[in-house]
Amino acid sequence: MKQPSRRTFITAAGACVATTVAAAWPALLHAQMVRTPLNNMPDAIRKLAGAKTISKGRVKLDVPPLVENGHLVPLSVSVDSPMSEADHVKAIHIFTERNPLPEMATFRLGPRAGRARVATRVRMADTQNVIAIAELSDGSFWSDSAFLIVTLAACLEELPA
Amino acid sequence: MKLTDMPKVTRRSFVVGAAAAGTGLAIGLKLPPFGPGIVRAQDGSPEVTHWVVIKPDDTVVIRIARTEMGQGTLTGLAQMVAEELECDWSKVTTEYVTPGESVKRKRAWGDFSTGGSRGIRESHQYVREGGAAARTMLIQAAADAWKVPPAECGVANSVITHTPSGRTTTYGKVAEAASRITPPKEVALKDPKTWKVIGKSVKRLDTVDKLTGKQVYGADLKMPGMLNAAIMECPVFGGKIKSFDAAKVSSRKGVKKVLQVGDSAVAVVADTWWQAKTALDALPIVWDEGENAKVSSASVAAILKAGLDAEQAFVGNDAGDAKAALAGAAKKVEAVYSYPYQNHACMEPMNATAKYTADKCEVWVPTQNGEAAFAATLAASGLPADKCEVYKIHCGGGFGRRGAFHDYVTQAVRIAKEMPGVPVKLLWSREEDMRQGRFHPITQAKMVGGLDANNNLTALHMRISGQSILASVRPEAMVKGMDPATFQGLARGGEFEWGYKGIPNLLIDHAMRNPHVPPGFWRGVNINQNAIYAECFMDEMAHAAGQDPLEFRRKLMKDNPKHLAVLNAVAEKAGWGKPAAKGVFRGLAQMKAFNSFVAACAEVSVSSDNKVKVHRIVAATDSGYAVNPAQIERQIAGSFVYGLSALFDQECTLKNGRMEQENFNTYNSMKIAQMPKIECIVMPSGGFWGGIGEPTICVAAPAVLNAIFAATGKRLRSVPLKNLGYTLV
Repeated sequence: MKQPSRRTFITAAGACVATTVAAAWPALLHAQMVRTPLNNMPDAIRKLAGAKTISKGRVKLDVPPLVENGHLVPLSVSVDSPMSEADHVKAIHIFTERNPLPEMATFRLGPRAGRARVATRVRMADTQNVIAIAELSDGSFWSDSAFLIVTLAACLEELPA
Repeated sequence: MKLTDMPKVTRRSFVVGAAAAGTGLAIGLKLPPFGPGIVRAQDGSPEVTHWVVIKPDDTVVIRIARTEMGQGTLTGLAQMVAEELECDWSKVTTEYVTPGESVKRKRAWGDFSTGGSRGIRESHQYVREGGAAARTMLIQAAADAWKVPPAECGVANSVITHTPSGRTTTYGKVAEAASRITPPKEVALKDPKTWKVIGKSVKRLDTVDKLTGKQVYGADLKMPGMLNAAIMECPVFGGKIKSFDAAKVSSRKGVKKVLQVGDSAVAVVADTWWQAKTALDALPIVWDEGENAKVSSASVAAILKAGLDAEQAFVGNDAGDAKAALAGAAKKVEAVYSYPYQNHACMEPMNATAKYTADKCEVWVPTQNGEAAFAATLAASGLPADKCEVYKIHCGGGFGRRGAFHDYVTQAVRIAKEMPGVPVKLLWSREEDMRQGRFHPITQAKMVGGLDANNNLTALHMRISGQSILASVRPEAMVKGMDPATFQGLARGGEFEWGYKGIPNLLIDHAMRNPHVPPGFWRGVNINQNAIYAECFMDEMAHAAGQDPLEFRRKLMKDNPKHLAVLNAVAEKAGWGKPAAKGVFRGLAQMKAFNSFVAACAEVSVSSDNKVKVHRIVAATDSGYAVNPAQIERQIAGSFVYGLSALFDQECTLKNGRMEQENFNTYNSMKIAQMPKIECIVMPSGGFWGGIGEPTICVAAPAVLNAIFAATGKRLRSVPLKNLGYTLV
């Protein structure tokens, strides 16, 4: 399993809608040992939003900053929305950059949901950026992102695939 | 202050200067427009990059994120920073960084995980860059003061010299100014040929404190007002608590609290640990042991045995068509091997000390991974990261038990949470430590080899049946249901590359069979059994072919030159092919693991009553680079203690769903009188970085087993050898 080079990461991150990517933590790129290659998250996000701008704000993504085990990670997303007929959250999309599939979850909501908040547990393949994008009834997109560290198991090493 | 000192209760590792609140000096981080503030250590000395603090008296404090547990990584990492820093080695001390501070600074010190023999080999780049950046800043500061170009300045042993004028200054004098300089974005590292500190067998930095008793281990930690906790978890894995009668023990002297921890453990908190432990022993507990209570070693062995011939298996490595080639082989050899559950059996049992209040949770713990201990603290306390901190303590043994599992941290925090404001030290008894291991996984292997009419090994099928670690521990790392870590040492390429590319028809597959016992990463992990299976069977095939085991291997290793080089090195030094002393016989083994190439040649004699004397082992390691050769030799020697103990004596057996061995009387380690002479060949060939702490363990057993065959003509195919009547003398 090849570790993506710094350049690959920056290119991929740069290609993504700028506002959705967490501060890219340059010092991390060599400091953290990520095992899993980047998926095509930027493409997946582009597919969702098309040419529309994804603005930062209104969304709050909560994940622990680091977890001992990526198997079961608590994740919640809340969106600042009145959830009325006229103004509500239609969907909340969760994207990750190193899980096998970039779009890890989509929650469909409507005004009858009452409040725009979802909480779940997810599996994280590796240390990575996570992005939550809310799709609103007025067609706008809002996002928040977080960087999550999955600590490495003791003697687990680069594994032959 | 060195972190080898006893941690102080109130001590914060870092006090961040007011001007710099929130802005790290991490190299490459975007700095605020007004320039970086100074981050100061507790005594006011400035940080020159986050890796280095320099005091006015020229003392250099090097920050360490990985964990020292006897392997010497603390010294090796300091050597690498010091190499680029060009500082006076005699004035170097070290300090652990804390995971909470690391999170605040966006992981400025990288990964804390100290396992997988990765301490040196996965941080060499950024720790050297940290040293080089600090050096650049210090020179710049001196040059600025002298109003000369930095290029005119040279540096050695913490002294900066302006070459044209001969003026000099020291790191201690310019550190304050250097800390104000923006760290360079890019630094050039030295050519390995010019290394002066890396590659040198400097003395360990932690020895004196250990020899004088100044080093306080987690098990010995004392704090003002501290209470002590003993704990017992359901001895049947997966079992739960049904009930316990706290009233029976709660009035005993010193007992403060009897409480359930999670759904499977009970703890007693008391003034002293002995009071807690004896109260726990007297506490009536009713367990709901569940279905797992029916499991025994025999029932697990039967499940594994069935896997040896199962149709479905995950393929980890293959070439050609092994099954067809075996069917058409002129001669076929078949053998079944087995390897048991084993416990890490650290000398220091698991422990953690925690203090919880509504707005702060602190944990002091010997851990191989500060970040994972921190994550466990966050989860158990329910507090956010800025209200938690973990202070690492050197480990009294780790071997993987303190790396991936922080169950004892979770327990300690849960207990402390019930007693806010009071520091509580949770210390497992030896029995608890033995019962609640994360055990070396159990496997069997069926080996089938085929020779052609000219006695060439043309086909090999290696079927592993048994437990996957990742299926239990990190299912997210599985690849389409397969556990790639099962194939350590047998892989197509990479850090665990198979050494016999010359076998044209190869099939190595795994029938996964997962009993209820929680598996873990046991120093070396899956190479330990894989090396026995592969290297002993390679000897069996050589014997069947009527060929010398070394010559037989050499023919298959033409495309594995580095594997072959270490094998040749041990053979030559041991005098392979030349007569040994009377009654002494030799055996060989090799493997690539954790990116290092290792080999061993053992010399043994076996008495008529099966007493095995290992006289000498010659061991070679090519780890690419060798940071501290003397330390590598000690690690290699220590690896044989671990490997030979496992081979002769160590097995955890299951009865009624729980482990039977509860102490060193039934789970033995070899003694100093049994220790063979170890001769090391440290042969770094350059261009890559390999690990040291684990690889050599795996060649201990097959080298000795092959020598026992040479001596006796008997193949011993199951571990430990005590079950077969063999003892190490």
